[in-house]
Amino acid sequence: MKRRVGVGLVAWIYVFSILLFLYLPLVPPILFSLAPVAGGNAPTVHWYGELWRNPVLVTSIKTSLLTGILTALLTPPLGLLAAMGVRELRAPRAVLLLLLMPLFIPGVSMGLGNAFLFRLLNIPPSLWTILIAHVLWALPFAFLIILTAMTTFDPVYLEAAYVHGAGRLRAFLDVELALIAPGITGAATFSFILSLNETVRTGLVQGPLNTVQTYIWSTYLQVGLSPTIYALMSLLILLTVALVLVIRPMMARRAIRVTL
Amino acid sequence: MGTVQGSTQQITLSRRLSGIARYVLLAIPLLFLAVFFLLPLGLTILVGFFERAGFWIRPAFTLAAYQAFLGGPRLFVLQRSLFVAAEVTVLALALAYPMAYFLSMHVRPQVTRTVLLLFTVPFVVNYVIRNFSWAYLLSRTGPVNRLLEALHLTAGSLDWLLYSDFSVLVGLISSYMPFMIYPLWLALAGVDRRLIEASWVLGAPPLLTFLRVTLPLSIPGIFTALIFGFVGSFGESAVPIILGGVGYQLMGNTITSALDVLNYPLAAAMSSIVVVVMLLFLAAWYLLFDVPAFLGKIVRWRV
Repeated sequence: MKRRVGVGLVAWIYVFSILLFLYLPLVPPILFSLAPVAGGNAPTVHWYGELWRNPVLVTSIKTSLLTGILTALLTPPLGLLAAMGVRELRAPRAVLLLLLMPLFIPGVSMGLGNAFLFRLLNIPPSLWTILIAHVLWALPFAFLIILTAMTTFDPVYLEAAYVHGAGRLRAFLDVELALIAPGITGAATFSFILSLNETVRTGLVQGPLNTVQTYIWSTYLQVGLSPTIYALMSLLILLTVALVLVIRPMMARRAIRVTL
Repeated sequence: MGTVQGSTQQITLSRRLSGIARYVLLAIPLLFLAVFFLLPLGLTILVGFFERAGFWIRPAFTLAAYQAFLGGPRLFVLQRSLFVAAEVTVLALALAYPMAYFLSMHVRPQVTRTVLLLFTVPFVVNYVIRNFSWAYLLSRTGPVNRLLEALHLTAGSLDWLLYSDFSVLVGLISSYMPFMIYPLWLALAGVDRRLIEASWVLGAPPLLTFLRVTLPLSIPGIFTALIFGFVGSFGESAVPIILGGVGYQLMGNTITSALDVLNYPLAAAMSSIVVVVMLLFLAAWYLLFDVPAFLGKIVRWRV
């Protein structure tokens, strides 16, 4: 018994060391963003104010938010249709593989492929080309989240709706969709998070536009990082953490319980 | 009689139409992926055989780009990328597997959910930002060096911590390991406990049970994690720039530098190599394992 407690303690220490290794890089940007202004030596939030005085940066923030919101709106319906398709189309294995494939391809190769497609079809870079790249990246995640939510749904409820005279569409909207709604909201939030944090794919299809992340990347390559950029990074980190915490209650609890 | 028949015909027709409408709806995501995922990959492979024409490309069939890549000094980039990707995959698996095992076998589900949520945060925060941080943490005057000196483990600053193979490994592992935890946990959580108990009952010691029962049953998850780690780090473009230092080239940033000089066929040829490596892995995965069964740990197929 005593040995078991010791083993458990070592295991937890191990888990927390790995978490520390992954969380440590989130700290420096926040520290650097509070850098004192010239002449002072006390931490300030001055640089957070500087952000909004840079018109190029403000434009890129708007582009990011717009892209993120559109990605959050477009990806879950696609993910929902895909999850239903796996259930109902023939060859579910092939459908599954195609849906999960975008997860396995490096950002450079995907962005380059998309850039070739748009260029050969004479589609100029715009918000729409960025949006397609983002939806493509978020779709496998949205699909998996919705698929997980669907496991908590018992088709017997649909039978009940049919018995009470509901048509297929009616039963789907009022019963199934209502019950898997948390999964869909979760998928939307996660799609927004992924869009907000995308750099490499975006950089290859954005043309003259910039999202927040590609603005950070090009600034780093051209002039290096500054307290203002660190303030921007900190805001992005905090927003991402907040959104992940928002998702938590949304995630189907029963699904995990089923799994375990 | 005729009217009755007419109405039943109408019903079957509308049934059939609604059936077709359903298929069209369900096919939308697949169509989206066909156009914006499969077609771009096909084009990439095609452009690899085109020739350069001014600032763009001309359709042709030439092996010039492949000769330039495989016959020149850039071949070293391919060798290094394969080597680095293999190192990252092995190290990240060695780190992630014991943790996934512990979480799936010895921890209450509610606690597991919380820990997995904790892994989600660093997973989704932009990895470029996280790698900027590593560049600072590992720098000559950075916290890691100062800590080592404070503990009297090193005499002076270690200069191999940054702009080296070491820092690239640290960056790639922290970028791709979070990706690998989920499939490992999924596979281990799905192992049927009765099989493990049966092994105990038959007198196998814990280690033998693990080697003979648990480990083989978790192989689909290991293979999935392996693809994430290997293909991801093999084609990674930002980490070598941030943490490798000047002249440190892996496949990913060599592709971007070919794009900077508008050598599209060369970029496409190199990208094709990355894509083909991914496709080979996925084909093996598809042939060796039952994909729905693997996901079935989460998705209980209801027919």
